Amino acid sequence: MSETLPEKTPDKNSRINVIKFALLVSFICSLMITAAASGLKGLQQENIELDKKINLLKAANLIDPNNKPSKAEIKTLYDTHIQAVIVDNQGKILDADSKASLHLYFYKTDKGNLGYILPINSRGLWGKIQGYLAFENDGQTVSGFSIFSHSETPGLGGEIESAWFQKNFKGKKILNSQNQFVSVGIAKGKAADLPKSEQANHVDGISGATLTGKYLSQGIKSTLAQYEPLSITFRQKGLTAKKKE
Amino acid sequence: MLKDKTHYTELLVKGIWKENPVAYQVLGICSALAVTVQMSTALVMAVALTVVTAFSSMLISSLRKKIPSNIRIIVELAIIASLVIVTDQILKAFLYDISKQLSIFVGLIITNCIVLGRAEAFALANDPIDSFVDGIANGIGYGLILVFVAFLRELLGSGKIFGLPVIPRILFDAGYQNMGLMVLAPGAFFIIGLLVWLKNSLPGISHEKK
Amino acid sequence: MGDLLSLFINSVFIGNILLAYFLGMCSFIAVSKNIETAAGLGFAVIFVLTVTSPVNWIIYHGLLAPGALSWAGFPDLDLSFLKFITFIAVIAAIVQAVEMIIDKYSPLLYASLGVFLPLIAVNCAILGTSLFMVERNYTLVESIVFGAGSGTGWMLAIVSMAAIRKKTLYADVPKGLEGFGITMIVAGLMAMTFMMFSGITL
Repeated sequence: MSETLPEKTPDKNSRINVIKFALLVSFICSLMITAAASGLKGLQQENIELDKKINLLKAANLIDPNNKPSKAEIKTLYDTHIQAVIVDNQGKILDADSKASLHLYFYKTDKGNLGYILPINSRGLWGKIQGYLAFENDGQTVSGFSIFSHSETPGLGGEIESAWFQKNFKGKKILNSQNQFVSVGIAKGKAADLPKSEQANHVDGISGATLTGKYLSQGIKSTLAQYEPLSITFRQKGLTAKKKE
Repeated sequence: MLKDKTHYTELLVKGIWKENPVAYQVLGICSALAVTVQMSTALVMAVALTVVTAFSSMLISSLRKKIPSNIRIIVELAIIASLVIVTDQILKAFLYDISKQLSIFVGLIITNCIVLGRAEAFALANDPIDSFVDGIANGIGYGLILVFVAFLRELLGSGKIFGLPVIPRILFDAGYQNMGLMVLAPGAFFIIGLLVWLKNSLPGISHEKK
Repeated sequence: MGDLLSLFINSVFIGNILLAYFLGMCSFIAVSKNIETAAGLGFAVIFVLTVTSPVNWIIYHGLLAPGALSWAGFPDLDLSFLKFITFIAVIAAIVQAVEMIIDKYSPLLYASLGVFLPLIAVNCAILGTSLFMVERNYTLVESIVFGAGSGTGWMLAIVSMAAIRKKTLYADVPKGLEGFGITMIVAGLMAMTFMMFSGITL
């Protein structure tokens, strides 16, 4: 190992050298970071879009979560089965987003059945929970549910992203036997332990995650309440009246 | 400039086994516990940390004679942070699903004691190639522990290996249930504790520095 | 107000930054041998967290987040990828300031904390709290409460561990488990106890 000449040490620590060195390191680091960030931004955006599409397809049961379809397959499935629209709360289709606009996705299964998917935005125990809730064309029966992002505790609240939890939503109704809007709630324990009249409006809870369940139920209810005027028109007139050709 | 093979082999053995960063030096525990619920996340985390440690050690080592002493730690942190940002961007672009699961833990590589620890303990006193190898060695040592803990947690906790179910249905039908505790925090602590006990009971392995 | 209180309680107990999210382990293991040092470090961490969370919030939402720079005329700029480096710089600066304050007002505490004080800067719990704050989209007030809560939870864990470790000195711990091993087992048991705060039935 070569010895450092003693004259070099005071020079290295001089004020001007510290500033020069710091600037150089900052410059090189910034170059590295910015190159990576801007260069890869395109790919990253694509991934986010793809994730959204997969979740929409999952909610509408158009995709089997166990096989991983390729990017191209997902694009084709999405383009042929799903149509994204922006509506106001009466169901009139708009051209652009505004403060009062709502997002809506129509879907069509291979058998030709129509349905629609609503984006759910809820608070959770730790952060936002975002997902998609799909409905059949009767405007009140759930056909699927998927969770797109959350910050819940893994193993507890985090179970909302597992298949068993999401599958339970299928077939549940958002209207009760008197045709009043009650939304779908997450029970504290098993839905089967609730009175018979409430079972169609509840899914099994996750043990150890009562708070997550409570927040998600509230979030689903308030999101669905926003779409209620729309859902009522679907129930009365069916979906074909609203689908933009 | 390159030294002979035995020198590098020795560095590798030291980092991977004799002075394993997690088991012997007790570094990098935070992520060892957090990302080991599944083997896929553990593996990606291990690779990310190995890459960051190797390159940061190499860069810091090549600058070691020129870094002014009063901004030493800041410069090290800046280099490490930049490498972590680049790694994070790459993961978001190419392994999006896994990066979502790793969430903040990729960023936490910056504060992972192994990276800064090797920079301070090794890179400042050795040449760049040695530092690079030392970084790789410690990274692999860390990775081995991570993947092993993840293997146990995923197998016992969800009955899967790398996401593929391995416990046959017959056992489930006969009453076998996944050990939910393994997926939660306490399971991770217990496994590491028991692994350390195992390691200390093996003949010829030195005990932890107190 | 109720929401903030519930956030605080959750951060201390159910989502304890150390026992549930594993952040801050290195100093946890090293410093928890002595109750006084553990408490001193704990208070320092609470202070650092309560200050760094809102400061990082302001920097993130004022400068780095997508659309944050619209006040300067750059609404399309997204500098969020710089958050790692800015957060760690802010944390290092604040820890340096805390060091100087403690040295001035309590040289005894400064001496007993030794090297662990500057090590707060690389404590994963500090950076982790700021990163969680961004990921969970907290408001400014929520970030202060979350910072204070995380710090309190960390301190609670470290002081409890110090107290328990004192007791284990009199226990008959198997040779292979001495030190690190038994600390992990105890931490696991503590983690289980803290989980009970969410009312689970395993």
